[in-house]
Amino acid sequence: MAGMDSNGNGAVTLVLVSHSAELAAGLAEMARQIAGPTVPIVTVGGAVDGSLGTDGGRVLDAMKAGATGAGAVVLVDLGSSVLSVRAALTEMTPEELANLSVADAPLVEGAVAAAVAASTGCTHVEAARVAEEARSVAKL
Amino acid sequence: MSPSSEPRVERHATLPTDVALHARPAGTLVRAASAFAAEVFVSANGRRANAKSILDILALGAEGGVELLIDASGDDAAEAAEHLALLVPALV
Repeated sequence: MAGMDSNGNGAVTLVLVSHSAELAAGLAEMARQIAGPTVPIVTVGGAVDGSLGTDGGRVLDAMKAGATGAGAVVLVDLGSSVLSVRAALTEMTPEELANLSVADAPLVEGAVAAAVAASTGCTHVEAARVAEEARSVAKL
Repeated sequence: MSPSSEPRVERHATLPTDVALHARPAGTLVRAASAFAAEVFVSANGRRANAKSILDILALGAEGGVELLIDASGDDAAEAAEHLALLVPALV
């Protein structure tokens, strides 16, 4: 979980939101291997019954949990996951919103880039910016 | 001397034969480079990657035993290049 101390020290939390719990868990494993163990990663995947989909309640809980301490950067796959994140934003306090950045970035590349950035001790705003840079990095 | 007139510093460093610049070692390199103010690049396989960008470094595809060219420019370029030149052969 977003086990950050409340004084704002420690790394930014990654919140990974996907239609698939397995996708989110696999991406968290990959990001952890590259970025090291210091970055807290929270995953939210699947619908209430465990099938592919999104569970707005758990998305909101994860984002609220992340928006403590050093704050969080939220990465999201597509479609209704994005809608769930947007809906969650409307349920959060101004303090929580100030402690959270949603990255408009490709999920895999963005998560890896944000995780490494977070491991260097940057802010959630900076981690989101690095994730968004992933949109313009050529693969080939 | 102003920071901008700091010359570009180059160092060569060889990856351990059994350590490719993937996953964990790539993250270690990027974290190390990010600690310096200098602009730092790593070249291999005819490509030049920003050493502070994990996606750039992963795209290099540098395999174990490959010699990397590290180049740095800016305020602490000499320290950055030296630090990374020592780090690369010690990556695990």
